[in-house]
Amino acid sequence: MRISPLKDTLKSLGASFEERYGVEVVSRIYDKEKEYHFVRDTAGITDFSHVQKFRVPEETGLDFLDTLLAGNVARIRFGRVLHTFLSDEAGMILADCYVANNDEEFIVLCESITDDAKVREIFTKDASAGVTDITDDHVVIGVDGFKAWSVIKDLFGADILGLPYLSIETYGFDGTDVKLFRAGKTSEFGYQLLAPVSIAEKLFAALCDGAKKVDGGVCSVSIHSDLRLEGRFFNIFGEGAKVKDPLVLGLQYMIDFDKESFCGRDAILARRDAGLKNKIIGISAEKGIDLETGMSIYNGDKEVGKVQSVCFSYTLDATLGLALLDIDVAYSGLSFNLKSAGGPVVNTISMPPIIPKSLSVKLDEI
Amino acid sequence: MGENIQQVIDKRSAVIKKFKEELIRRLNLPYTPDDLHEDVSLLGSGLGLDSLDALEIVLCIENCFGIKIPDQNTSILRSINTIVDYVLQEQAKKG
Repeated sequence: MRISPLKDTLKSLGASFEERYGVEVVSRIYDKEKEYHFVRDTAGITDFSHVQKFRVPEETGLDFLDTLLAGNVARIRFGRVLHTFLSDEAGMILADCYVANNDEEFIVLCESITDDAKVREIFTKDASAGVTDITDDHVVIGVDGFKAWSVIKDLFGADILGLPYLSIETYGFDGTDVKLFRAGKTSEFGYQLLAPVSIAEKLFAALCDGAKKVDGGVCSVSIHSDLRLEGRFFNIFGEGAKVKDPLVLGLQYMIDFDKESFCGRDAILARRDAGLKNKIIGISAEKGIDLETGMSIYNGDKEVGKVQSVCFSYTLDATLGLALLDIDVAYSGLSFNLKSAGGPVVNTISMPPIIPKSLSVKLDEI
Repeated sequence: MGENIQQVIDKRSAVIKKFKEELIRRLNLPYTPDDLHEDVSLLGSGLGLDSLDALEIVLCIENCFGIKIPDQNTSILRSINTIVDYVLQEQAKKG
């Protein structure tokens, strides 16, 4: 099992760990509500080093990358980041990927639901593409939250305020280049820092100091499942791992359907032509109602779907989830029953149900 | 299926269909209406539309439904579903 270069530091903070597909991640540091509020109200620092990381030279690796991933890698402009995915030949999702055009190379960050070693083998199997696997000698540290921009600004300067969502820029830290991805899946401001292991401890400490100044702190990877669901960002470890079909998951925006080839293309196009039979929809139940993954959802006496993922929203004081529903009832604004025809009420809702605090901040006016 | 549920679906799906078709046409999006999940984020992540596109979306809502989006209230534009909620709410007010 691969472990993070930051493990000892995280352990000293009281972190507990769990395994995800051959990689160890932090499952909890503080209590869940505290971690949640770090991100929603201030800034949360998260060790995302579980992601697989690759450098791909444009000259030798562009075609390889473009025929591997569902999105159009060739059209990524300099300094921008594409959010797309890797699927298998059956068109089922294997990894959620950020691909950054970093001048004469691409940098790929992947969160996968297949074994770590397998993903790394897929990306490096074609020697002529010249892909370098930098997973073991780099860390990825996330800074997410309403005040995340403040932490990053203190470190790299006011220039970062002009970075658009899904972009990449290089900054210096302790004499070493750090790649800053303006990205994130919480619906608050988000940044991911790709840095060599040699400066990982020092960078992590600097980010933690910055977060402390705004009353933020260190978060687990697990809290991000809740934050993603509440913000209706795709979570490969949640609904992604259960459903796997990118069309049913609503990930069509990550696909270039006009591309002549990418891994899983034929299977995905065949399912698209056939039409969807079911669809992922947001659901909500009042606090106290037992809403759990795997529960059946009933419309009258007919079972119309199942709950795929669940979280508690401290903002809304309600339980939220995603359900896979039959296509003819996959609409928000409806009421169904859980477990049986007369079971507790669950409502389908429009996502995202929260208005993030970050939406009230205009960085270009700071 | 209960009549009430079907009525809600019919009303909602008509607004969704009209809005998606107009959105795709105006922004020249490379998708069919079925490709656009109603919860996908419109601005920033998801479809990745920018502030100019946001203006087009506002005009799209005005043209399709005769409903104005209040200035500065970009939170309505979070997703197709949040827009449809607003349209249905304003249509209900008008009776």
